[in-house]
Amino acid sequence: MKEKIRVGFDGDFQVKEIEIAEGDPVPWDPSKKFSIVGKRVPRLDGKAKATGEAKFSIDVRLPGMLYGRILRCPLPAATVKSLDLSAARKMPGVRAVLVIAKPGDKLRFAGQEVAALAADTPEQAGDALAAIQVAYDARPFVVTMEAARKPDAPLVFEGKAETRTTGGDVETSKKSLPRNGNVLGPRASSKGDVEAGFKTADAVVEGTYATRVQTHSALETHGLVARWEGEELTVWASTQGIFDMRDQLAETLGIPVSKVRVITEYMGGGFGAKFGPRVEGLAAARLAREAGAPVKLFLDRKEEQLATGNRPSALQTVKAGATKDGKLTALQLTVYGNGGTNGGTGTSGPIKNTYACENLKVDEYDVFTNAGPGTAMRAPGHPQGMFALEATMDELARAIGMDPLEFRMKNDPSAVRREQFRAGAEKIGWKDRDARRKTSDPSILRGIGVGAAVWYNTGDTGPRATVTIHRDGSAEVEHGAQDLGTGSRTMIAIVAAEELGLPIEKVSVSMGDSRLPFASDSGGSTMTPSSAPTIRRAAYQAKLALARAVAREWKVPAESVTVGDGRVSAPGDPKHDATWTEACKILPSQGVAATAERAENHEDAWKRFTTGAQFAEVEVDTATGKVRVDRIVAVHDCGVPINRLATESQIQGGVIQGLSYALFEDRVLDDPTGRMLNPNVESYKIAGSLDVPEIDVMLVSVWDGVNNTNSVGIGEPSTVPTAAAIANAVSHALGVRIKEIPITPAVVLAAVGERAAAGERRVGTLGRAERGPGFREEDAEGGRS
Amino acid sequence: MKPFALVRPKTLAEAAKLSAPPDAEVKAGGVDLVDRMKEGLDRPRTVVSIIEISGHDRIEAGPPAKIGALATLAAIADDPGLHKAYPALPAAAGGAATPQIRHMATLGGNLCQRPRCWYYRLEEFDCRKKGGKECFARDGDNRHLAIFDSDLACCCVHPSAMGTALLAYGATLEIVGPNGTRKLPIDQFFYRPVSDSTHENTLSPGEIVAAASIPPPAAGARSAYRKLKQKESFDWPLVETCVDLTIDGGVVRSARVVFGSVAPTPYRSKAAEAVLVGGRPGDELARRAAEAAIADAKPLTHNAYKVTLAKVELERALKQAWA
Amino acid sequence: MSDEPRGGFTRRDLVRGSLVGAIAASVGTTARAAPIAEVGPGPSPLELEVNGTVHRLSLEPRVTLVDALRDRIGLTGTKSVCGRGACGACTVLLGGKTVCSCLVLAHEAAGQPITTIEGLATDGRLTPLQEAFIAADALQCGFCTSGMILSCKALLEREPKPSRSAIREAVSGNLCRCGTYNHVFDAVERAAGLKTAEVTEPPILVGSRIPVPGSRHENDPRVDRALREVLDEEGMA
Repeated sequence: MKEKIRVGFDGDFQVKEIEIAEGDPVPWDPSKKFSIVGKRVPRLDGKAKATGEAKFSIDVRLPGMLYGRILRCPLPAATVKSLDLSAARKMPGVRAVLVIAKPGDKLRFAGQEVAALAADTPEQAGDALAAIQVAYDARPFVVTMEAARKPDAPLVFEGKAETRTTGGDVETSKKSLPRNGNVLGPRASSKGDVEAGFKTADAVVEGTYATRVQTHSALETHGLVARWEGEELTVWASTQGIFDMRDQLAETLGIPVSKVRVITEYMGGGFGAKFGPRVEGLAAARLAREAGAPVKLFLDRKEEQLATGNRPSALQTVKAGATKDGKLTALQLTVYGNGGTNGGTGTSGPIKNTYACENLKVDEYDVFTNAGPGTAMRAPGHPQGMFALEATMDELARAIGMDPLEFRMKNDPSAVRREQFRAGAEKIGWKDRDARRKTSDPSILRGIGVGAAVWYNTGDTGPRATVTIHRDGSAEVEHGAQDLGTGSRTMIAIVAAEELGLPIEKVSVSMGDSRLPFASDSGGSTMTPSSAPTIRRAAYQAKLALARAVAREWKVPAESVTVGDGRVSAPGDPKHDATWTEACKILPSQGVAATAERAENHEDAWKRFTTGAQFAEVEVDTATGKVRVDRIVAVHDCGVPINRLATESQIQGGVIQGLSYALFEDRVLDDPTGRMLNPNVESYKIAGSLDVPEIDVMLVSVWDGVNNTNSVGIGEPSTVPTAAAIANAVSHALGVRIKEIPITPAVVLAAVGERAAAGERRVGTLGRAERGPGFREEDAEGGRS
Repeated sequence: MKPFALVRPKTLAEAAKLSAPPDAEVKAGGVDLVDRMKEGLDRPRTVVSIIEISGHDRIEAGPPAKIGALATLAAIADDPGLHKAYPALPAAAGGAATPQIRHMATLGGNLCQRPRCWYYRLEEFDCRKKGGKECFARDGDNRHLAIFDSDLACCCVHPSAMGTALLAYGATLEIVGPNGTRKLPIDQFFYRPVSDSTHENTLSPGEIVAAASIPPPAAGARSAYRKLKQKESFDWPLVETCVDLTIDGGVVRSARVVFGSVAPTPYRSKAAEAVLVGGRPGDELARRAAEAAIADAKPLTHNAYKVTLAKVELERALKQAWA
Repeated sequence: MSDEPRGGFTRRDLVRGSLVGAIAASVGTTARAAPIAEVGPGPSPLELEVNGTVHRLSLEPRVTLVDALRDRIGLTGTKSVCGRGACGACTVLLGGKTVCSCLVLAHEAAGQPITTIEGLATDGRLTPLQEAFIAADALQCGFCTSGMILSCKALLEREPKPSRSAIREAVSGNLCRCGTYNHVFDAVERAAGLKTAEVTEPPILVGSRIPVPGSRHENDPRVDRALREVLDEEGMA
């Protein structure tokens, strides 16, 4: 069925004809008067969370439950020489022990799992862990990228790289890549002719940008509670994908998928690191089977920091050229990423997908080290890639003597983001930014910087949902999605309430259980665009079922009955008009229900990236190097936001994580010993209440018609530009380019020293930059003082 | 944590006797001790808890002031009398750690806490402070460590904010031991790890800090405390500065200048003091004093930036004091 | 450890919590215990008064208050995140003051009233602070929420009309990874009557229409192509 819909944003719409799948409602249109979608709806589980009643998986207690613990290797590279669990097995309270690394097995990072056990109490489990006898042969190791890239560096993998990827990781390449020692790659991609692009440029800049490893640090640690009943396994897990967890447990343990049930009712954050049972989940399941009793195995904070994944570090060299009138002519990125024992460290998303440039060349290398494995983390590769790209854009603008925002606007193919840049600039006061640099205190300088966001997802097929309308007029949604804390539960209820025309109080949601209809993983910002259209479709079909039931009762043709605004009626037939509640009374006790599977995206709809722009205003103490972020303006495309309140909350969260990444977060590995020095949340520094600025969140509704709710996810795009914007703001304040994050006092003081060495002429937004061969000095407007 | 017996004596004297054996540890608020026990750094068989012993949490603001060792940092931070007579003290207490920790942590515990050097704090490193042979920090990641006295047996920094402030005020500690009570000027309380780095103070086994007494401020006394942290919410300082000056007739008559978080002990800068005494308060004097203070700085491989911070922060502390 | 019977119930029973309900007594039956000369190292009896209910337990001295609350009594609203006093997730009120229950020995908490998040609502009625947390969406995953609310409760008892900076300071020991801070500040201001919910919702659409040269938001072929490329290449499709 073809339908014409209006697509676009900001009141400027075009009509497109799209193919609607059978049984799917037509996408909401800009003319739609929502009753609840787009409003600020307090989350449905707020009460459970504010009272402590919410049972997270880590809170589950079962009769006879044991406590599991894991023994970890203290060395960065070792071979297990011998392992003896007999003494531990005899310790008080111990009910089961498990070998994870056998003698002869190679361990490749400090913190890798060796053995596990379960005991009656947490203290007994800890005591017994100390009784495990294990001997290692230490092997040479390497933890820094610099050392790992050397030709004679110890090899992390002698043979094939045994990386561990999870459901959240970006599959980095389907083809096999060249490997040279510890270096895998390049993953190369290009378009146009980048060398030709540099030749036509009036200015070329090049810089190398360093970012460090960030850990997810979700508050609830990884782990699960496993209970066997015969051959049936139930786990209460902290996971971003209960179905993925179910399938992996079944496959690894060799039991049918139908015998595994995964429950995640409430979850204390994931940020990309919580996919699949992982080592600890499988250990818990195996210990529980051996002990014949339920086992709870959740990691402590130290284990969490050592072994559960992280955002890899990156060393990015970006070279870019532009004409003097502000057209990008070439973009080139070479990046080396340290993902420890994992690959997937690429950062090219932003440079490929943000600004339009005909000539692009990218070479990405993974460098293996004896460090905890990197894994997907909130917009993998993007905050680091955007930091380098946006620094380059500022430098290039400076080189051609153009305002950095104007330069971006000229090269931004996205109309939505151009509007976001405009709106954000107005809000933060971009035009006064140079005038505001100096303060009454000569050591304090202020700066304003900008960064762009780009993301991609409009949802996946596969999810199913059941919507039941009961005879009392209430409705029930069954959908197996997990709510990581993003507000998915409330989102589901809102979509159903909107479609059925019910107040949200009349809708109940069952979720977080693999016995419920399938839902996608919560990753890639796909939860909402995958689930919302599914829920809407099921609700729409349930509504049609209600109409059919009422039509039968009224003895009128089904197509003559309409449902909406709390009424069921046959238009033009005043006898047949009932309130929703009255109409539902005719239903049998099973009510009416519909189960629907998500329709394909409308490929012929209005396509765009998910975009955003963030502006940061900072104050830099040039004497101490301390940076304070005073304000962030975050302008984002969230499609049509389903719950405005939760959307704003999630953007706040993305900004704060980005700020924390820009200023504080740094996993520190000790070079000589290969151990992590800050496996905690104390010296691994995370922004707290006194470090966060006021954040202005602005939303641009975009009606793309790609799915029936015009929904996209906001989790990832909201954290992509923050570090870039902050680094650009600090660079603006100082008049010197900041080339690494976190921007610690030491980094700022070094930059201040560089400025002093270069002389004051570099200070100012339009100072000189490194210039390419095609640059003619007279082309820069105001480039020199 | 390893199992231990919890002993709760009724007096400090009893506690002193009970805590004298090497396998016993005194516990007040427990903020530091329980953390260390969880990491396996300390495995006492007996924990002698003194937190419930009455009478030692009193704050007499005086002047002269006497503060019981069991007074919490929160109580010190909130005491109006101390704010008036010894403003650096509540400033130091109020900026430490977090509200929750300040409710638990005591003056005595703050003085006796162990350093935060991350090599020391991880059980995997058998560093000199734990009786091992090696200092991992000297050639490792020492970004947060000492810039003064950094060539001693241990290059950690002492984490006590209260020690920094009390040293500036010239406090005297009251020490209860198995054999009675003694007074100890705080100058002699902190131990410079000249050869042995397994302890940070001069207390003998069984000795417990009972109170700190602070002499009354002289006429014209001005003091200030500053704490520079990378992160405002719960972070250990990069540099602390505390100055206690007397200014009379437009001239600095006496000065005590103390840095915290830059040396294995709270670090008194006599060089800065010498510049200050006899000088006229002003930007120039502050600059000269700060320059004198860092003249003998010996930064490690990764912490030269802290020398700059110490200089800037001392200048600012002096200006704050005489503003 | 053996299951030695103590007063008619076994240690394992206690650990598993099956008897907790049966031995919970009403408040007021215990005064602050006289100092005990020595307990442990094995399990020793103690009474904890939590939210007005006395719980009789038998614990080793090394068991911390947060573990006693969560694993023994079953009050799991108090969360354990760092275990070292750095994050505030385990915040409870002990004798009316916020403490990190991960650094408090359970035996030493005996004799002082303990308030956990479960003790705030009465008969299912939430406190204005809890209501404000919900209304302002000052919680996302909810894992820091119990500690946040208790820190804010302690603040409001001390300072009924706190400034925004006082609120920031009050929760500076409560780590949130989802980024709820600004909404927490809003919630406390709401609960203190300093801020009411916005009556008018600002429009979602921002700004004015911008002139886009030569296009009415037409699909930019470059974008379309790039989108396909990235989806194919990175396996995101």
